Amino acid sequence: MTGALLAVRQVNRTFGSGAAAVHALRDVSFDVEPGTMVALVGRSGSGKTTLLNVIGGLDRPDSGTVMVDGLEVTGLDEDGLSRLRRDKVSYVFQTFGLIPVLSAAENVGVPLRLARAEPRERERRVRLLLDLVGLGDHAEQRPGELSGGQQQRVAIARALAASPRLLVADEPTGQLDAETGLAVMGLLRGVVESEGVTAVVATHDPVMMALADRVIRIGDGRVEP
Amino acid sequence: MLRLVPRRARAQWPLLASLLTILVVGTTLLGTAALLVTRTSERGVEVSAARADPDDVTATAYVGTVAAANARSVATDTRTVLTSAMAPFPATTTTRASAALRLLPMGDGGGVLGGGYLSGLDDLPSRAALVAGRWPRASAALPEAAVLQSTARLLELKVGDRVDLGPELGRSPNQAVGVRIVAVVRPLQNAGWDRDPLGGTGFDPDPPESTSARQIHAYGPFLVDLDDLLTGGSALSRLEVTAHPDLSAPTGRGLDELTASLLGANRKLEGTLGDRVEVQRVSSPLPRVLLDARDQQQLTSGGVLSLALIGLVLTAIALTLAGRLTTGVRAGESDLLAALGTSRRQFTAVAAAEAGAVAVVAVALAVPLSSLLHAALTRLPPLAGAGLAAPVTVTAAQVLAVVGGAVALTALNVGLATRTAAGAGDRRTQRELLARSGLDVLLVALAVVGWWQLRAQPAAAGSRADAVRVLAPALILTAGAALALRVVPPLLRAGERLAGRARGFTLALAAAGAARRPQALAAGLLICLGCGAATFGTAFGSTWHTSQRDQADLAVGTDLALSLTTAPLTGQSAQVATATGGVISPVARQNIVVGQWLGGPDSAPQLIAADLRHADVLLRGRAGPAGGWAGTTRPLVAPAPVTGVALPRGSTPAITGTTTGAMPISVAPHLLLQDDSGLRTTCDGGPVPLDGRAHPVPGCVTQPGLRLIGVTLSVLGEAGIQYVTRIDATVTLPAPSTSAWTVRAASPESGQLDDPQITATGSRLRLSSAVSFADTAPSARILVATAFADPGPVPVVVSRQFATAVGARRGSEISFAVDQTPVRAVVVGVVPQVPSAPGAAALLADLDLLTRAMAVRGNVDLPVSAWWVGHPAAPDAAARADGLGLGTVTTRAAEAERLSGSPVRASFPAVLRVLIVAAVVLLLGGVLLQVTCDMQARAVEVARLRGLGVSRRGIRAALLGEQAAVVLPLLAAGAGVGALATHLVAPLLIRSDTGATAVPAAVAHWPWASEILLLVALVAACGLAAGAAVLVQVSRADAAHLRVAS
Repeated sequence: MTGALLAVRQVNRTFGSGAAAVHALRDVSFDVEPGTMVALVGRSGSGKTTLLNVIGGLDRPDSGTVMVDGLEVTGLDEDGLSRLRRDKVSYVFQTFGLIPVLSAAENVGVPLRLARAEPRERERRVRLLLDLVGLGDHAEQRPGELSGGQQQRVAIARALAASPRLLVADEPTGQLDAETGLAVMGLLRGVVESEGVTAVVATHDPVMMALADRVIRIGDGRVEP
Repeated sequence: MLRLVPRRARAQWPLLASLLTILVVGTTLLGTAALLVTRTSERGVEVSAARADPDDVTATAYVGTVAAANARSVATDTRTVLTSAMAPFPATTTTRASAALRLLPMGDGGGVLGGGYLSGLDDLPSRAALVAGRWPRASAALPEAAVLQSTARLLELKVGDRVDLGPELGRSPNQAVGVRIVAVVRPLQNAGWDRDPLGGTGFDPDPPESTSARQIHAYGPFLVDLDDLLTGGSALSRLEVTAHPDLSAPTGRGLDELTASLLGANRKLEGTLGDRVEVQRVSSPLPRVLLDARDQQQLTSGGVLSLALIGLVLTAIALTLAGRLTTGVRAGESDLLAALGTSRRQFTAVAAAEAGAVAVVAVALAVPLSSLLHAALTRLPPLAGAGLAAPVTVTAAQVLAVVGGAVALTALNVGLATRTAAGAGDRRTQRELLARSGLDVLLVALAVVGWWQLRAQPAAAGSRADAVRVLAPALILTAGAALALRVVPPLLRAGERLAGRARGFTLALAAAGAARRPQALAAGLLICLGCGAATFGTAFGSTWHTSQRDQADLAVGTDLALSLTTAPLTGQSAQVATATGGVISPVARQNIVVGQWLGGPDSAPQLIAADLRHADVLLRGRAGPAGGWAGTTRPLVAPAPVTGVALPRGSTPAITGTTTGAMPISVAPHLLLQDDSGLRTTCDGGPVPLDGRAHPVPGCVTQPGLRLIGVTLSVLGEAGIQYVTRIDATVTLPAPSTSAWTVRAASPESGQLDDPQITATGSRLRLSSAVSFADTAPSARILVATAFADPGPVPVVVSRQFATAVGARRGSEISFAVDQTPVRAVVVGVVPQVPSAPGAAALLADLDLLTRAMAVRGNVDLPVSAWWVGHPAAPDAAARADGLGLGTVTTRAAEAERLSGSPVRASFPAVLRVLIVAAVVLLLGGVLLQVTCDMQARAVEVARLRGLGVSRRGIRAALLGEQAAVVLPLLAAGAGVGALATHLVAPLLIRSDTGATAVPAAVAHWPWASEILLLVALVAACGLAAGAAVLVQVSRADAAHLRVAS
């Protein structure tokens, strides 16, 4: 575990109770080294999203621990979890998760506003990130005016805005066609390398698996060997 | 497809419940309004008639000059016609008849004849008090008669005396009539003695009904049994039959029949009496009262409908909002169904089935709810106070209104349900923007036309409710709200630009959400119009009530007015002052002739004269000029009061006189007395022969505190001959005079009195003058001595209408006649209105100066017709004043209560309250619905914000900030629209109780305290509704939403 940016230990998560209980995660344990990109692979309902939510502190496990950059996520209170997501963990959602009323630049600036960055510094960083994802010319467009691939690139730029240690992406290419998905995956791979972040990406996509440093397979709530 | 309806209803019951609630609110309002404008409105007319002043619901037939042979049949036929005219209501009648003037044998009257007349009343004991003797009986061998105290005193009659009245004067010779005096009576106040030929005074030195060429001193009446009079062989000079219908339980239809019947009664009486009479006329205020009530009923119904229409528009907008939100919620389902091949017709059928089911439930609820609400309203003020409390009832009109409203609103609902919803973040298309602009322009154009039409409505009475009055308020409010919505987005965008500069996230997201989300303003029109309607309703109610008070203030003119039925008697001021306390003033109020101008039939110029030394306390009416009435009337007040000679109570002045010629001459003295309150009364003495002996003038100083301020001597002798003599008369007073007395001829232009002189020596006033008898008019020989000088032109202020009519302005000299006495006046000011004469061409003068000006012209019968009381001290002053039995008491508080609580008007303030409540309920419902739907639609977004590291607190702040940024400007805009509508429309909608333009004109009144309270309550309630929705939604925003979204 020494040196791992992410350490998941014996995590269990069950929804419902009795006969209707759904065991989403069962004794899940693994480590992720800094600067690596991990592909979390499994069928629908296998527990990928639940695991990502537990890692990001959006959901609490019934038992087990999650450590991110030396911080025990499972021991944090609400404010601590919010700080965690603001400072260390960033999300990229399958459906992009952009705020529809904000422009691309404003969406990217959201984490910087949460960090109360200087407006000038914020603008500089937003421009930089939009250029990084190839959307420098689309800064003022709203999500509804962008294609799916462009929206996901904005989402990735937003995820990088606060310089997180861990990037969690839940099927980031699930809503995209193959060509755009490939481009987005390339982008993710690129930023992992250029920004030095660690990424955990839930995916079905074999291309994504190929680009990942490591693949963790999960089935019926367990990490498969 | 139709199987979808119940299943979807179970799944989406909160949405359907909100639709149902809105529909129920709207249709209940309609049902209540329908009950108010039908059942309550009709009941209002009935109660109005039942509660009308008894004098206002009588009809009197006046018949003049009836031959003795026809007297009985004419009286019977007149009663029959009048009673039948009261159908379908039973009626009782009272009859008063006066016979022609007969010669009354008297002693030497200086060449003047004496006259007396018989009268018969069928209810004498209720009109007079027995002083001596017993009431006359019918069919005595010698007709029995009662006489008034004054007649008995002047003719020295007592019970048991026989009086023989000679032939009728100026008519064919007929039989003399003898009567036995069996009673001396005192006329009761307010008992109709003003209808007596001599006004119940018992004596008139120059009666207006005299048909003789010679001067006649008339005495009477000799009150005999009515049947004796009608069958006793006397011609009647006047016969009056008054019918009193029993309107205790009237019906509207019966009242309409009565109105029509009375309007035709005159012709019917004419046809019945034929040539048996010379003059006949039926007069009744009742048709006017009932027609006015119908006019008011129409106006009030128009007002109620206009308010109900505002409620209906609000309901339609709320329903539109609910429909749009429902469509938005069902967008996915609709897309799926469309993709599965569902046709538009099938969509419409499903929507119609669902909306129809909701409408049926709404009708089933709204009918009983509107009945209950109506019944509850009638049990609350002002309807309860107006006697309109009603049981829970269901009427056909109410059901029709509810069903009609439900059908119309359901059609709207179905139309909306078949439209597609706008997606989150969608920008409007150019076409939609153009359509919206076109609708705005159309609304504004219609609103302007409505306002213009309201402004152009006739000022006269009888303006009935019309479509413009019903539609204009709703149009103006809706157009104002639509325009205000145009202002809000730029404001929000400006706010967003400012908020964008902030470092933090919360403010920026809130401002961006408010400025950029189309859904944020989805409830905008409802919030703006709801707030506008509520603030308008509050301000309109306040404006209406303020206007009623203003109208009452101006109509009464003072705090308490006591209108006298007969001229005030000496000592009455003490009675009034004791009863009411406060500042009291005798008031002259009557029609006048200005130059040659008589005015119109119902718009004769009026004179109002009061003691203006206390104008600030006495006069009321908002139309008073800046600086108050005291400042305006200061130039009208006499610089110094009249003092005259103090007369100890019970003292008796005496007159001694001589003449230089041989012809017997007498003088009729009139003493002008003044009491402590400034009331001036006269005491008439009988003719006094100028024979060198002292003749007392008894019975004048019956009260303490009286002062003699003038004496007139009517010189009596054979007129129409060339004869000149000089008279010398000395008035001996009980106390010396310190005033400077002056003397003059009352009408110097006649030239009958020459070189009048007066000398005041100690307690003697010696008057002398050369007298000519060439002129036959008795008024040409009146010598006037006063303890004051001729005041010259009387300073007056005139109403604007008066000034316009006669072209007068400040400094203009005018001349007007009061009781045919010319008075010169100078206009010192023009005011919008004169107290107690709203809308009239009227002038206001100081009573002291006016009566001085009249006295120097020989008219000492001063025209006091009322008492005004300012700041009455006694809490029950009105009741105590009424208890004096002197006349009709009116207070401005009671008048305001009458105006605002009238049975035919009380529905209006009641429905105003309902509108305010409905507007607030719909507004809050709309806000709750909008916020809830918005939060549900944004659940995933909220969860993602948490995923981005935004704390729950931060999300709550951002969402609440967004809602506040939207709702607060909308509420402010709504309040602005309400204020604008109040200023533009409210004064135009308010009419007087006769349906004419309110006088003084209604002025928009913005009740700051109530409005601020309302707005604070709205803000708090909206905050509570939005806060609850946001709180629940944010607390639910967790990983589950992210899972769903993924």
